[in-house]
Order: sequence, then C-alpha cells, then structure tokens
Amino acid sequence: MSEPYFAVKDLHVHFAGRGRLFGSAPAPVKAVNGVSFSIERERTFSLVGESGSGKSTVARAILQLVDIHEGTVMLNGEDVTRVGRRDEIRFRKQIQAVLQDPFSSLNQVHQTRTIIGDAITRHYGTKPGLVRDQAVIRLLDDVGMSAEFLDRYPYEMSGGQRQRVSIARALAVSPGLIIADEATSALDVSIQSQVINVLKRAQADSRVAFLFISHDLEVAKHMGDDVGVMYLGYLVERGDADQVYEGPAHPYTEMLITSIPVPNPATQAARRELRQSFNNDAEPPSPADLPEGCPFENRCPVAMDICKTLMPAPTPAHHGGEVRCHLHTSGPELAGASVVEFIETTARGRVGV
Amino acid sequence: MSAPVAAPAVSPRRRFWRRMFRNPLAVFAMGWFVILIISWVWPELIATHDPFSQDVMLQRLFETPSGDHWLGTDQFGRDHYSRVIHGAGFAFRSILIAMSIAVGLGVPIGLYSGWRGGRTDRAIMWINDVFFSLPIVLLAMAVVIILSPSLTSAMIGVGIAMSTRFVRLTRAVTLAEKEELYVDAARITGISTRRILSRYIAPNLLPSLVIQAAIISGAIILIGATLSFLGVGANLDDPDWGVMLNRSQAVFRQEGVWQIVPPALALVLTVLAFNLLGDAIRDALGRDASDNALSVTKRVAVKPAETPHKAGADIVLSIRDMDIEFPGQKGQVSQILQGVSLEIGPGETLGVVGESGSGKSMTMLSALGLTPAPGQMTRGSVFFCGRDVTDLAEAEWRRIRGKEIGVIFQEPIAVLNPAIKVGTQIAEPLRIHLGMSRRAARNRAAELLAEVRVPDPLRRLDQYPHEFSGGMAQRVGIAMALACEPKLLIADEPSTALDVTVQGQILDLMAEVQQRRQTAIILITHDLGVIAEAADRVLVMYGGQVVETASTHDVFAHPQHPYSRALLDTMPQSHDGAGELPIIAGMVPSASDWPPGCRFASRCEFANDECHASMPALTTHASGDLVRCLRASELDLGMGVGVKS
Repeated sequence: MSEPYFAVKDLHVHFAGRGRLFGSAPAPVKAVNGVSFSIERERTFSLVGESGSGKSTVARAILQLVDIHEGTVMLNGEDVTRVGRRDEIRFRKQIQAVLQDPFSSLNQVHQTRTIIGDAITRHYGTKPGLVRDQAVIRLLDDVGMSAEFLDRYPYEMSGGQRQRVSIARALAVSPGLIIADEATSALDVSIQSQVINVLKRAQADSRVAFLFISHDLEVAKHMGDDVGVMYLGYLVERGDADQVYEGPAHPYTEMLITSIPVPNPATQAARRELRQSFNNDAEPPSPADLPEGCPFENRCPVAMDICKTLMPAPTPAHHGGEVRCHLHTSGPELAGASVVEFIETTARGRVGV
Repeated sequence: MSAPVAAPAVSPRRRFWRRMFRNPLAVFAMGWFVILIISWVWPELIATHDPFSQDVMLQRLFETPSGDHWLGTDQFGRDHYSRVIHGAGFAFRSILIAMSIAVGLGVPIGLYSGWRGGRTDRAIMWINDVFFSLPIVLLAMAVVIILSPSLTSAMIGVGIAMSTRFVRLTRAVTLAEKEELYVDAARITGISTRRILSRYIAPNLLPSLVIQAAIISGAIILIGATLSFLGVGANLDDPDWGVMLNRSQAVFRQEGVWQIVPPALALVLTVLAFNLLGDAIRDALGRDASDNALSVTKRVAVKPAETPHKAGADIVLSIRDMDIEFPGQKGQVSQILQGVSLEIGPGETLGVVGESGSGKSMTMLSALGLTPAPGQMTRGSVFFCGRDVTDLAEAEWRRIRGKEIGVIFQEPIAVLNPAIKVGTQIAEPLRIHLGMSRRAARNRAAELLAEVRVPDPLRRLDQYPHEFSGGMAQRVGIAMALACEPKLLIADEPSTALDVTVQGQILDLMAEVQQRRQTAIILITHDLGVIAEAADRVLVMYGGQVVETASTHDVFAHPQHPYSRALLDTMPQSHDGAGELPIIAGMVPSASDWPPGCRFASRCEFANDECHASMPALTTHASGDLVRCLRASELDLGMGVGVKS
C-alpha cells in the first residue's frame, strides 16, 4: 500500500494551564487525544464536531499555530510535524487555509491587491506591480470575482466576497492541501452554497486536497468524501461520508445526525421524537477534567458499565473506517455495524416511547 | 441579529477629515497649530522685533501692550510678542526630540513584548513599570546631569520617560491584534514575523498612536516649560516659554501680573490645542459613530395603516402595513421595512424566516417600540392584545416589555450581566413588574430554573453567568423571558449560537412552555430546519417585505414565491449527491435604492418585464396563503423546480 498524500497519526494537543507563582500548575486541557486520519489528493476529509470538540485545534496544530504534544503529521512522504525556520516557507506553500470569520481573517488596512499579492510576493518573489496584479486578477476570476475588486478594502465587501478573497489567497500559492476551518459558517445559506461551489470547483481544477472542518453536518457531508466525528478531543468515528450518515456506528454520531433540523415538517416531527429519546439534559464533561472512561458515557442512551471505566480503542467499522465504542466489542457486540437500530429499540424501550 | 447592509460610499480618510472640520474645537486646535507652525518655520514672517534685541537705553522696560509692542516688553525691554512667536520653535523642537525617542523606543519594545508574550513580556513590562513610576522631571534631570545642561538633554530624558507610555499602548494593541484571525492567516501564508509586525499590526496601531502622541505632546511642552522654569532646560536668554515664565515670576510682584500673561497664554493654548486635537481625532476615527446619528431627525407623523386590524380576543399581536425608514446620505431615505403585516394568536408559533438584511429582526424591534435611531416608523400601526401601541410612550412600553412580552436573544451570555449572580438577574423583573419581595422573587426564580430544567436550581441561583455553558445560559435566558408569564414570546435566533445537540433541547423547552401557558411565540430564524420543527405558520421576508405567508406545511410542500423555493433549494439538506449546489445569483439590492418592480426580480429565474416594472402586492391565493409575486398563480413551484444558477 502506498503512503497517503496527507496523514495525521495519533495527534495529541495539550494546553498547559498557566503556572502560578506558588502552588502547582493546574491540569492541562487535553484538547486533542490521539486523532488519526489521512487524505488523498483531490479528496476531501470533513471533520465535524460541536464547540469544544477539538476540531479547530487539529487544524491549528497541522498549521503549526499551536504546539503538538505527541504524534506525527506527514505530507507527501515528508514529516512536517515540527517544521523548522529553514523549511517554513516551503511548508507554507504546501498547506494553506481558509479561516472562519470573513470579517477578521482579512486585514482591514489592506486592499485585495495586497491581501492576495502578499502571498504571491512571498512565495514567487513577484514584486508589487502590473505583473502581480494580473496574477491576482486571474485568481479573483477563479473564485468568480471581477477585476474591480482589486482595490477594494475588506470593509467594502460582503461576507461571501471576503470569503472568496480568502480562498483566492489560499489558491495563490498552488498548495497541495487547503484546510477550511468553518469557512462557510458565518454566511447566509444562499451565499454559503456559492462559496461551497467555489471550493469544489477549485478542487476539480487544481487537484488540491481539502480538510473541511465544520459544525454543520449537512455541509460537511456535502463537501466530504470521508468524514470524521470528534467529541471532546477524540475522533470517535471515521469513515466514508455517505455510509457514516446512513448507518453511524457511534451513538454520538447518531445523536448529532438526529439533531439536525431538516426542512421538512413531517420528517422533522419523527426526528424530534427520536431525539427526545436520548439522555438529553446531561452536560458534557470539561476537557480539563476528562473522565477515565468514555467521555460520552453520561449522555449516551445505551451506555454500559464498562464505558465508565475504560476508553474504548478504535475498532474497524462497516463503512470502511473506525469507531471508538464498546458496543462493538462488548455487550451487544455489534462488530462495527450501524447502531441506529440498536439505539432505537433500546432507548425507546427505556423511556417507554 | 442581522446587521443592516453596510455600504460605505465615502472612504474612511475623507470621512475622517469631514468629521474633523465639522468639529469646532478641532478647527480651533488646527488653526492654532497653523499659527504655531508658521511661527516655527518662518518666525521673521510674523514677528515684529528681534527677540534678542534689548532696549539699551533701559527706557522701555516692563511695558504693557502698545502699538509698537503688541504684548509689551520684558525686563530688558525685549518685545514679548516676538519672543512668544520665537518660543514656538523651542516648543516644537522639544516635542520633536522627546517624541522621536519616545516612539522610536516605545513602539518597537511594545511590539516585541506583546508579540512574544509569556515570560519575555512579563520581564519587559516589569522593567517598564519601574520607569513608568519614576517622576518624569526627575528622570529628565538625571539625564541632564549625565549629559550636559541643555534643552536637548532634558528632552532626551523626557523622551525616555514618555516611551513607557508607548510601550504600554503598543503592547496592549499587539496582544489584542495577534489573536485576530488575519494574523493567523498571514502566518499561514508564510509572511515573516517582522513583516507581520510592521505591515499588518503596526497600521492597526496607528490611530491610537496618533491620539496618544497628540496628548503626550501637550504634556511634553508643559514638562519642557517646567524644566526651563527650574533652570535645567533652555538657556536663560532664549525666548523659551518656560524661561520667560521664570523671568516673569521673579518680577511680577513689583511690575504687575502682565509679565506672566504672554508666555502663560501661549503655553495654555498650545497644551489645550494638543488635547483637543487628540480628542477630536479619537472622535473622528470612531468606527461606529455614524454621521447620521448626529443629525437631528424630524419626528414625522405616522401614517395610519391602510388595512384594518383583525379584531378579537384570539389576536395577541397584530402589525399592519408597517414602514420603517432611515435617513440616508444626502437626504435620501432608506426604506428598511415596507408594508409589513402579521398577526399571531395565543398558543401559536409564527416562524419569521429570511437572510441577513431581510428585515426580520427590525420587524420585531419596531413592534416592541425599539426602532433603532435614527430610524422611525412612518406608516402602519401595532396592536398588542387589542390595544393600540403604535405611539406608546417609552414609560408605558417599559411596563409591557419584560412583563407581557418576553424576548429571547441569540447570544444568551451577552444578555446576562457577568458581574451579577444569575438568581438576582432572574428575580429582578419579578420584583420590578410584579412587586415581589426579595424572598418570594428568589423562590420563584428557583422554580423557573427548575421549569427550564436547569439541574440543581438552588445552587445555580448563586452562580455567575460564566459558570454556565451556552445551552444552560440560554435556559436562563428563557427563564428570564418567561418570568412574568408573558402572553407573547419573541425569540430572535434562539438556537443559532448553540451546538446542534443543544439546539433541539432549547426548541423542545420552548414548545413545552408554550403548551403549558398558551404563549404566542414569534420565532425569528434563518434556518428552515428550525422552522420545519417548531413553527405553525411561516412568514418569509425578503428585502424588507413579506413575500409569502402560509402554513408551515404549505411553505415546504408547495412554496408559491420563487424566493421561498430558492431558499429551500440552496440548503445542502435538499441536495442529494454530488454536483454543484443551487445558488441564488446576485445580491439583495441596496435599501437606499430599491428597484421600482419586484425586489427579487434581478435574482429570479421566472422574472419577466412586468416583474421589473411594477411592484407586486401581497395578494391572497387559492389556498388562502399570501404571496407577493405577479406570476404566483401561473407558476408551479412544486418540488423539483430549480433556480437561476
């Protein structure tokens, strides 16, 4: 088997509590715990999870914006876990990002010409001027914007336009991987679909791989070939996007999917009923104080005794990926199959629906 | 809440100067500086005498103003006016020396300290604080002793002392800016740290730097004068304002107060001008201060609604033909809402759906008498429980809001006061509106928390908002909105900021409360999924108008307005498999420049010439639904019809 284009292996990111002058430092916040996945060229891996799940920290760790505690990041057969100063510029050319907030991810004091042009100057040495402007115009054209945006400031553009400028900036250096961290979350639905289409078109044109991070499962599914679901720093399930949505092997994934409101009153009424059969009111534990066992245990409708004491290891699932849940090895021993049916019978039985 | 579409036609630079010239104090300060600068660069141009020429005859000493000596003469018979003019040069030289040292030293240290953070930052700030606490005059004297007694050495000392102010300012801005996403984006692009600091962060520092520099310049002049007065600054013969003061105070008991006036006046006016300039720059740079906000808006009479309100006990809130207008630039008017009508009955949930800028939040604010200034209602009327509340006084409104109408906001944490215990905040409306005692209100607050299923309510009452998660805080928000058992609950994107698994809990909770109390709920959201789950009836808004209103079932099963149809199509949920998502091409037209015809026409694939020419009315269709579309009766928008892409 050949090496994947991009791979993250057993990634751990811990944030140390700030030390006090006297007394010991508080326990570190374990933001990412043993996350592994890989992405091939021209493919998209969607990482979904709720706030505090650690999905953005994974992105920031890959981008070297936070320190990696343990694990490796491989790009095109090369270890890029900790890139030194000498290799930084080469590394930055290969991995680019589109960040969440279109309002703060562009510097208010620069025009589009400079925002995109700076990346070109940095990586290709083209000095500011006509030649560089031509390149910027071509990039703007790729994201469906006209040349008149060249001398616009960020505050003169709408959220969708700004996000497209961000995409053009990422594309400027022809990277191999683009990390999109909640890139469409701040946009209206009609604008969101425009930006998603721009991203997909860019992928088809340049064979770029995407790590698409989102809290919106529907968008993640639409974008992703594969999907990973994170909960409190753990990657609890990973596999083919469509198959994971069809038959999730982890109860948390099932809970997430049934929680998405669908624009269809009849379907939604059925979903609401199913949703209410979950242990809804429990709060997730704090990442600074994770339980010994599975962190989802206190919210899980089908938790067993073993879940309280032991964090399950990844086991193969029916969708070709992996799942971290004891249901597959103990209790009903589902052996990687979908949990949907099991949850419906068990949970409904429990609340007497 | 959706912000109005920003359309800054004026560049910030032009706006800055326009605001500066409209501020009389700024004009005074700038005028004074023009005079000072001329005095500095060409003192001969306006001075009448040589500032050093003494009256050798010793005849004309200590004179008061006269035709020859406009501001009188000093103890050597030198012309006061000319000496004050020449003094400007000394003042500016002082500022130049001290300021270049202060900025040149302070800004780089501040940038470095803020960027590095951690231990380096703490060490630098510790040293900085030590220097900060030293008296400036003392520091300047120390430098004078080490170097040589001159104005230059004194100003070097002042510059070093003042640099601590710039270290603090720069570090604070750098610490804040470095957390901004654009800095991350620059790092990801591979921009070097030096360039990020100089080209990305420093320009954002400039406004506060200029303001600080203006105010500190005033201080430098005063300190310079103090030092000269004490004899460690300028030469005793120099026409420096401080020296002049020194000389005058020695003789004013014998020769009258006038000797002090010319240098003192120059000093005071200059320091004042610097401070005024600093304030004016700050005001002119203010991003939020709108030019319109300052202009007085004439209160116009509200035109009555053209259609009658539905009467009866089964109507809680009824809005008819509401227009909201904002004064725009050059006397134009932006019509933010046009002819909005709605009504809602007890126990009913009305979903209001639309994208940013569609007017959904504005409708609710205006219905609550909270139209943000300078906007105002120019037509229409609002009835609440059969009572006309269109022109209600603010004092009256306060008795209704929070008591009979509860509001739930998008950001629960932002609504709660971080410094006050949650229990006290829930109890407050109970004590104000229902006159409960402290104890009774507290008990009721605990009951309310239990009702919104916050575990362990008695303990939670004594906690502060930061101890609540987003979902729990929103439950508190709902508890507060429900405290006085309102007849109407307005929920503006109540679940948008929450995680998807928590979102369902909040919607369930609202439904539960509604069932128990027959509360009418207006649910504002951009999420059609939320509408599908919670609403009985839907109001679709576009461009400040209602474009369709129908039962939830009807809107989803067979939408009648092309915009409703397009909105459904663009949701990723409606799209199976690969390929591109349908989009709504183009953008919402500007509120100051609505097209004469249908506001959606430019983005609608069904639009014909007539659609572009005349505005369709909201008309009743066969099903009883209201639709604002000329072609509604002939179009079949059933499932599967695409939109312009």
